[in-house]
Amino acid sequence: MVLAVKSEGLKIGYLDEQDNVLWAVKGVNLEVSEGEIYCIVGESGSGKSTVALAISGILPPHAVTEGELYVYGNLVIRGESRSYEKIRGRLVTYIPQSPGTGLNPYLTLGDQFYHVLKSLRGSTRKEAKAEAKKYLEMAGLDPASTLDRYPHELSGGMQQRAAIALALSTGARVLVADEPTSSLDAHLRLQIANLLLRLREEVKLTVIFITHDLLLASRVGDRVAVMYAGSLAEVGKLREVLLKPLHPYTSMLVDVIPTLGVKKQLKCYSGEPPRPGSNDEGCPFFDRCPYRFSKCAAEKPRLSLAEGDRYVACWLYGNRE
Amino acid sequence: MWRAGSTVTASSKPVIELKNVTAGYYTAEGFKTLKKVFKPAITKIDLKVNDGERLAIIGESGSGKTTLLRVILGLLPPLRGDVVVLGEQIYRVPARLRWRITRQIGYVPQDPAKSLNPRLRVAEVMAEPLARTDLSEKEKAERIRDALRIVQLHESILDYYPSQLSGGMMQRVLIARAIVHDPEILLLDEPTSALDVSIQAQIINLLCSIHEKLELAMVTVTHDLPVAQYLADQAVILYRGTIVEKGPMEEIIAHPRSEHARLLVTSYLSGLNGLDRINRAEGVSAGIKRETQR
Amino acid sequence: MMNKGHRSNLGGLGELARRAWSRSLRFRAGVVIVVVMVAVAILGPFIAPYPSDGWGAVPPKAAERAGKPPGPEFLLGTDHLGRDVLSRILVGAWLALAQSLAVISIGLALGLLLGICAAYYRQAIEATINYIAEVFLALPAVILALALRMVLGQGIHVVIGSLLLTWWPWYARVAYVYARSIAEMEYITLAKLAGVPGRRILVRHIAANVLPPVLVQAITDVGSVLLEAAAINFLGLGLPPDAPDWGIIVQNGFKYVISMPWISLFPGLFILLTALGFSMLGDSLREELDPKMRRRWRLWF
Repeated sequence: MVLAVKSEGLKIGYLDEQDNVLWAVKGVNLEVSEGEIYCIVGESGSGKSTVALAISGILPPHAVTEGELYVYGNLVIRGESRSYEKIRGRLVTYIPQSPGTGLNPYLTLGDQFYHVLKSLRGSTRKEAKAEAKKYLEMAGLDPASTLDRYPHELSGGMQQRAAIALALSTGARVLVADEPTSSLDAHLRLQIANLLLRLREEVKLTVIFITHDLLLASRVGDRVAVMYAGSLAEVGKLREVLLKPLHPYTSMLVDVIPTLGVKKQLKCYSGEPPRPGSNDEGCPFFDRCPYRFSKCAAEKPRLSLAEGDRYVACWLYGNRE
Repeated sequence: MWRAGSTVTASSKPVIELKNVTAGYYTAEGFKTLKKVFKPAITKIDLKVNDGERLAIIGESGSGKTTLLRVILGLLPPLRGDVVVLGEQIYRVPARLRWRITRQIGYVPQDPAKSLNPRLRVAEVMAEPLARTDLSEKEKAERIRDALRIVQLHESILDYYPSQLSGGMMQRVLIARAIVHDPEILLLDEPTSALDVSIQAQIINLLCSIHEKLELAMVTVTHDLPVAQYLADQAVILYRGTIVEKGPMEEIIAHPRSEHARLLVTSYLSGLNGLDRINRAEGVSAGIKRETQR
Repeated sequence: MMNKGHRSNLGGLGELARRAWSRSLRFRAGVVIVVVMVAVAILGPFIAPYPSDGWGAVPPKAAERAGKPPGPEFLLGTDHLGRDVLSRILVGAWLALAQSLAVISIGLALGLLLGICAAYYRQAIEATINYIAEVFLALPAVILALALRMVLGQGIHVVIGSLLLTWWPWYARVAYVYARSIAEMEYITLAKLAGVPGRRILVRHIAANVLPPVLVQAITDVGSVLLEAAAINFLGLGLPPDAPDWGIIVQNGFKYVISMPWISLFPGLFILLTALGFSMLGDSLREELDPKMRRRWRLWF
């Protein structure tokens, strides 16, 4: 079976002001199967957004890459060269964090669909309208009342639905959603999450869901990759990861999330994520880890199978191959 | 501890009192007429914060919580109603003297990056609230050191510029700045929304300990119900400019009465579908103390 | 949320200049040109081979010396009245710099003051200042110079006056835009709530943040002002026709541009070089202030 997205040793960095490369993503191996909702969870600076940009093919030109990235078997990143022809916008689409910026403010929704579909497959206005209706309905919007509206006339939740509909209309198989709900109110977040779940059922969409919100991830995701300081800390089935976090960082994330109605003491972990460009030796979580020992400082643990299909990058789990 | 010009400190004395407050903004209506039309953002708000109380003002975007905050801070005169802060009708005081009241509110704004002047060192930022007090330089330095100790920052940070600090450190500096002059009220605007979850937990615990130590009234304006749960005992839920529910925090979470509060609570609860229920049923990683649960 | 870089404080221009020096070839070239020009402006009257020619006196044996092409005796040739062009240029260098720097510094000070006040005090002050600035922004410097010439007569005050009146609103506008965005920042609110006096807020919070970008803009503009001053003098609206201003020298040679091209060519080159030096300086500083621009610039090449 072909994997929707697969990366091997993917490294992505940005040139800083001194023309040094700051690695934002430091060797990531991802395997996302078709029809899966794959969550990438991490804090700011963990490199999760950079991975999203890489998969959707919109890395800025000053980004530097190493390793390999495949989308449906097509090699899109190979070392320094990147080619997304026939992939970007066709196989993979992207919805940005803020729904407002994903839509052109000067075009009605109908026109946005028309422009996208015309450039993709030369649709006429009539065809585009029919398509738009179909996808708006699929995204839970009423086409009659939204097709002739400008983005600013829609509420935040509706804008995000429209952005999803527009992304779907390209016929893409993979949807990369970078924090699609963080600017929305709580009840809207849930609706968008439900929408993604429904779409997965209906059109077998593969969703890469980037978020910092472990709770929301637990609502939608099948599998989760926890990122810390540019590396994967833990990969596994979401439920299992949340139930029994193996990596100390994952268990920290679970510990520190305030949950409604459960008044547990928030466990306080001191320290902050390392800054980009800080030293690369040893485990990136070393400074904050309660279980650290001497080996952690010396050598960086690699992601390896811990149990079942759980992969953990931590010396606590023997780091067997 | 020293109190900035405080008069009475009865334990149940209200420090903030809003009576029937309607406030909003004027917008130009129509292209030709330029007629100014009043658009209320909050209507008929009655609110009382007692000394030592922890109150959360909860609302989603467009609920009017920012307007309410500006009214309390003396930045936006209401159309109607009385705003009493620390026993004074704040809008009866001329704008240029209002600082005498407002400086007794320790205010922590929403976005730490926008709340620190990039050209001022931390030391200068911290000294600002003390500038117009009659403390000696030595006492001021002492207070700054105390405040930094409370927020668990090292003194060497005083020489730093904001761009050299991380988001969590900036937020700590802002909290230290808010409590350096020992205010009577701590007013927090979305204190954790710009922070990562692990830093968020640090800040929440810090704020709780500050409330215990300094015994001040703490008002948190937020959209985040789970965070509010930690930072407040009393809650007010705003929806479209009116208060739809008020009462003890736990009561509201357990039995929301108004429709909007119910929506809010359920959207967080079902949002956890996974984690929260897992939490309750099986316990997460070792070391979590679950004190209460419903 | 991406962390907004960890560059050390964007503080003083000194820091900015140091980084630009270590990194940008253009900045270094700009510095060299500007330093040389300033040295020439100061030393010009002393190092000129024929100082009295430089000040505009027609030499005794004018007819013999007139119209000599560049050669060992007259490095850049002589003009139609037999004056050494090199001496004219060297002696006039200070005039060129004095005119443009006076305009920039006074215009900048005035513009900053008014622009920041407009942004901070809002309401009537804002409306008034912006209105006045717009009126002056619409006036061309040359027309203004013509009017000043009519009213006040010839002299350097025409050049400086007309350019000042057209350049200050530009800085008022730039400062206003920056100050408006800074006045929205929460640290201004915090300062107000703490009772920090208004004047201190203006200086420490607003002006301190508005100054660096506007100053960099001003450095870039020195070249443009120099060109405009030369244009006004070229048209004979400013300095008297004997003055060694570069614009006037160009104008003197303009009639003989076919037969004696060197008279206009060399002062023109000096104008170009000086303007280039200042804009290189300003541009590289601006890139340092906003690293994104640097990336864009590099991508083009």
